[in-house]
Amino acid sequence: MRCAHLAAALAAWCVLVSATLAQDRIEVVTTTTDLRSLTKAVGGERVAVVSLVPAGMDAEEYQPKPQDALRLKTARTFVRVGLDYDLWADRLLLTTSNPAIRRGGPGYVDASYGIATLEVRGMSVGPGDGHAHGNGNPHYWLDPHNAEVITATILAGLARIDPESAGTYEANRKAFLARLNEKRAEWETKLAPFRAIPLVAYHNSWPYFARRFRLDLVGFIEVKPGVPPSPGHLAGIVRLMKERGAKIVVREPHEPQRDVAFVAEKAGAKVATLAGSVGALPRATDYIALFDANIDALTAAAR
Amino acid sequence: MSEALAFLWLPFLVAVCLVGIHAYFGIQVLARKVIFVDLALAQIAALGATAAFMLGHPAQSFATYGYSLAFTFTAAILLAFTRAWAGRVPQEALIGVIYVVAAAAAILMIDRAPQGAEHLKQILTGNILTSGLQDLSVIVPLYAAIGLLHWSLRSRLTGTTSLVWDFVFYATFGAVVTSSVAIAGVLLVFSFLIIPAAIGVTFGATLGTQLAIGWIAGTLTSAFGLLASFLLDLPTGAAMVCAFGASLAIAGLLYPLLRGDRRYALRTTVAAARWGVAALLAASAVQLAAAPRADQPLLDVAETMIPSLRSLYLSRSEATTFADASAYAARYNAEAEQLNAQEKGRRTEGDTLDDFSIARISSFLKSYGEMQKGEQFVMQEVRARARERIRWVGAFGLMMLALLGAPFSWRSAAGWLSR
Repeated sequence: MRCAHLAAALAAWCVLVSATLAQDRIEVVTTTTDLRSLTKAVGGERVAVVSLVPAGMDAEEYQPKPQDALRLKTARTFVRVGLDYDLWADRLLLTTSNPAIRRGGPGYVDASYGIATLEVRGMSVGPGDGHAHGNGNPHYWLDPHNAEVITATILAGLARIDPESAGTYEANRKAFLARLNEKRAEWETKLAPFRAIPLVAYHNSWPYFARRFRLDLVGFIEVKPGVPPSPGHLAGIVRLMKERGAKIVVREPHEPQRDVAFVAEKAGAKVATLAGSVGALPRATDYIALFDANIDALTAAAR
Repeated sequence: MSEALAFLWLPFLVAVCLVGIHAYFGIQVLARKVIFVDLALAQIAALGATAAFMLGHPAQSFATYGYSLAFTFTAAILLAFTRAWAGRVPQEALIGVIYVVAAAAAILMIDRAPQGAEHLKQILTGNILTSGLQDLSVIVPLYAAIGLLHWSLRSRLTGTTSLVWDFVFYATFGAVVTSSVAIAGVLLVFSFLIIPAAIGVTFGATLGTQLAIGWIAGTLTSAFGLLASFLLDLPTGAAMVCAFGASLAIAGLLYPLLRGDRRYALRTTVAAARWGVAALLAASAVQLAAAPRADQPLLDVAETMIPSLRSLYLSRSEATTFADASAYAARYNAEAEQLNAQEKGRRTEGDTLDDFSIARISSFLKSYGEMQKGEQFVMQEVRARARERIRWVGAFGLMMLALLGAPFSWRSAAGWLSR
């Protein structure tokens, strides 16, 4: 009888401990799925990460929902892309009563910190390359090398909130980078035969990807975000593709199929659908799978 | 030019087909006073397609089209009833409610399946530029069939107010709009529907002449809009909508000249134009005198078109500063572009630039951007100071021009003064 009591007490204690452990997990909110995947890689079991923008949606056009404000209320850390990519987050942060995760607070992490940005145009908007961002092209997570910098920034942010687990975070990050570097070598060999291959993209999301894997982005279908391309521009793109021998048009799943198919047909090119973010394609389940999916799609189209 | 033709002949043929059927429906829609019914039907069709997508049917499949059509027919039943229901509340209000509820319901659905957003966008923001033979192969038989049906039923569809014939009208119109909005987008389809019909109704008395005038106006305007979009490098749909707007304005201006007392109409037009110009000049004069450092739209436009106008009020040293700043701004821009091009080149040629070099280029680019902004500030400041200096003289000159331009009887003014 006493034994049974003891067992019951033990069981109750176990439940309590595991519950407090689960509660103890640090709540992290990220804007995009990519940052969620990278934060998970660093935080491991110690963090509970949610991302605000649903997978496959254009993060630049996201409109926050009431639930998002609720999520931020209890969050200890907020990780964003920065570089004017998730500008809507500024207004969202202003509405939250959680000052720790506001700009300048200990829980605020701008993942673009320390990134070598491409295509900076100062504060004045330069000639059309598909972005109204003066601070540089914001799609920097599409270079796996930048994951080293991003995870370092996330690590510093998590260690600020939870210094006791800094060692765990450090070890997690090291293990992740080791795996990533192994994969990077594999990706680079896969794409090596297609070095300097000319590509046309719908939106200018790929300069970091192109730089790392040595691809030649010759033009973009969308010159200004949200404005349909003019016939003169499309004719120019088709002419350019014929001149440069570009046989692939890169499109993300949320970009219009018709316009891309039209250009591809006129220029006799194939369409490669790549994921710009984790979850945009079914195969791109995490940060590493994202590159696996994209590199396979690209090699399949280039062959 | 051959390149333009290669790009534009298919969209032009599609536009001719769309004008053909929509001008007819437009005349009907104007007569029934249900102007925005096409927006409501298009939104309902999009809602149907979104529902199909949520249930796992791929885009542009038979099932998706079936869902769109089923939703549209349901809406047609509702619309047929709106005439009976519309007592104190106008029919247009009920149509508006159908539109906003369908749009909001689609957003709620998409919220559960984010990939659907693109789907919905594709249905409502077609791009006529990328339409092709495939679209023609669908719409030509469909529109011909619907056109024949309406012609054979014309006596029943135009006059009476029975529920059944209202349903037939809205259902066939829904089938037309569902396909045309997917091809050309909501804005352009609305223009195809209303503007040629409005021009036709303005100038024609019988349905036949109204249709003929609408078709001619619509076809010419489409051709003009497509060509302008190619030559001026503008988004095609938006350029065509503006061309249609302009054609309606021209038709409105021509109407009194063609139909009314010609001499009186001409005189009124000229007087109105002169009053307009005079008012613009006088407003600019007041703006220059009151706030010389603020934007001066008229002066800015004039200076952009004829840069030498600036020498009228800039002193020699100011003109030199202005020109220098402008040259420096252009130089910084060119150097920044060169750096960007250099970085882009190294992505594929030679060794890749390391992160340190990239960061260095970035900081150079940022500096160039700031320096360019600084030069632009100098240009603005020089101009603002010069304008401040000449505010009274400039305002007086503009006011004199306004008085000269106004269709003002100087003799009666002099008589009034001498009294």
